[in-house]
Amino acid sequence: MSSSPIRDALANSDVLVTVGSGGVGKTTLAAAIALRAAMEGQGSLVCTIDPARRLANSLGLEALGNAETEISQQTFAKAGLAPKASMRAMMLDMKRTWDELIEKRAPPDKREKILNNRFYQSLSSALAGSQEYVAMEKLWELRTQRDYPLIVLDTPPTAHALDFLDAPNRILDFMDNDASKWLLTPALAAGKFGLKLFNLGGSYVAKTIARFTGTETLQQLADFMLNISGMNEGFKERAHQTRALLEAETTSFVLVTGPMPERLDEAVYFHTLLQQNKMRVAAIAVNRVHAPVPDALWEEVARLPSSLQKKFEDTLKENDHLARQDARGIAKLREACAATPMVIIPRFELDVHDLSGLYETSRWLWGEQRLEVATAGR
Amino acid sequence: MLRSTCRRVNVAFAVREELSDKRLLVVTGKGGVGKTTLSAALAVQSAREGLRTLVCEVNTKERISQLLGKPEVGPDVTALDENLWAVDVRPQEAMREYALMLLKFESIYNAVFENRVVRYFLRFIPSLQELVLLGKILFHLKEKRSDGRWRFDRIIIDAPATGHAVTFFSVPQVILDTVPPGAMSDDATWMRDLLVDPKTTAVVLVSLPEDMPVNETIELHATLKNKVKMHPKLVVLNGFIPERFEASELSGLSPALHEVGQAHQARAALSAASLAKLKTLGVEVLTVPRLFTPEFGRAAVDQIAQRLGSAR
Repeated sequence: MSSSPIRDALANSDVLVTVGSGGVGKTTLAAAIALRAAMEGQGSLVCTIDPARRLANSLGLEALGNAETEISQQTFAKAGLAPKASMRAMMLDMKRTWDELIEKRAPPDKREKILNNRFYQSLSSALAGSQEYVAMEKLWELRTQRDYPLIVLDTPPTAHALDFLDAPNRILDFMDNDASKWLLTPALAAGKFGLKLFNLGGSYVAKTIARFTGTETLQQLADFMLNISGMNEGFKERAHQTRALLEAETTSFVLVTGPMPERLDEAVYFHTLLQQNKMRVAAIAVNRVHAPVPDALWEEVARLPSSLQKKFEDTLKENDHLARQDARGIAKLREACAATPMVIIPRFELDVHDLSGLYETSRWLWGEQRLEVATAGR
Repeated sequence: MLRSTCRRVNVAFAVREELSDKRLLVVTGKGGVGKTTLSAALAVQSAREGLRTLVCEVNTKERISQLLGKPEVGPDVTALDENLWAVDVRPQEAMREYALMLLKFESIYNAVFENRVVRYFLRFIPSLQELVLLGKILFHLKEKRSDGRWRFDRIIIDAPATGHAVTFFSVPQVILDTVPPGAMSDDATWMRDLLVDPKTTAVVLVSLPEDMPVNETIELHATLKNKVKMHPKLVVLNGFIPERFEASELSGLSPALHEVGQAHQARAALSAASLAKLKTLGVEVLTVPRLFTPEFGRAAVDQIAQRLGSAR
């Protein structure tokens, strides 16, 4: 059997995270890996936190919700597939996950207050960056409360995926930092809510901030922080655990990128970052690579009648151009990330959007199909 | 007047009729569809038409300056060409500018906002970061020169991708729903009003001729229009592949060559189907042909700019 870094990683992993910039096919590859694992007998769940409904699209499902939905035997049978284990899919509903979190973790007398606080409402539904935190919570919950042999987690595009790695630390910062203590301590000492901005109302610093935000904003934020303060220890505990989960031996990352030169800097940057963070990168998956043009085709085109010859020449030139451009990109990437195995997936003529397409994709991920990359150079 | 600086009417330009009288163009779409390239091309064309144009990248790895063959511009508005300026809007600098504008005195800013504790604190005011990013861009839209004319006739935002764009442009409304009256909510009000004003602002959606990007464009169009209340005016279908072969031309070839022809046909068919589907949005769709240039740079941007400028 041919070697496959992703297949090998799955043998020792129960969490696999796909990361990379937007538009490179991350979600599709995440779904393909989960599907292949199920085919081989490793029951799987694929979870996307992408705000757009891409995974539903890939899986031919109308809509995914916070619920883990099993892909039916009929759906598999229609695609001519007979998986040895079950596969489930879900899309993270941010607001609902936050609400569940509060309902589960907040002290009973604080729940309503928190759920009704305007800061909480924007935090849970619209605050940029909070989805990453919620994804970590969800991953932790799924890992600890369910027994999927494999969870494949898809992440949002680069700028936010960085936040994603940082999410557990950030929540620790929030819970732990001087600012919240500085705000909270006097109020906690006073023993009740709704006091006039604690004792900082008159201070120079507070007055200046209030010019920026409005006094009431400070007051409401303080209320919110007070109400969730009882949850600090729980947050801290889980933030440590999720961080540990990401660094665990049984967690692998697959970095997905396209071969286009303009995307590569991002991929290299991301690779470095993952390694600095002690995350295990099982493979770099280079998606949508153009196959080189075989010499025999040029020779055949040369023998065509002239009208047709021109059309085919143009087409081959374009294909050749794309293949060489991709090859240059791949060579650059190999050089920059030498120690990490690379998996090449060709560009398919049609979007992968159904189970059989996902399975076909997985054959390249598993190294059963291989693409010869064009000779780089101009 | 916006077009006062333009020359005669019969010159074949005007960054598409749909956009020609808009001062703020917001470019968005799925990741990887070519938003940045299109933003650069719109900016180049707009500047060429004689409008003082500022193109903004938002808290990202800067690419426009490089595309245009210029050194990096960073967080300060920098001239790139005649009538063309660029800036990479970053949160920390934007926050500083915003605070200084409110506080007037740098010494106060330094004493208060450079304080580690305060900085932590500000991070947790919902969406403040997005508000100052957006605020800086929209502030430039209101800026005037000493003679009373606009500092920039037109601003182009290379906006974040789909989901994050929706979050980003919803920020003023979110703040209005969250934050009680004060400086922040006053600012959120005028920002929201500018974004949803159809006379000022138009959204340009960028897509690719493939199923998923097209579906996402259709969803994004609905969300921006119905939820964020912004106005998509143009869809740009990037990487369009026109038909080349007729079915009859593909008979009698070797299987390998037949496959090459068929693949091209399939791509062209997908392009045509994508175009048809996008047209159902009832918004003008402009196709930009797939480019096969050695390195994606100034030449490619100019080519697209020309396409944006050509009269219909």
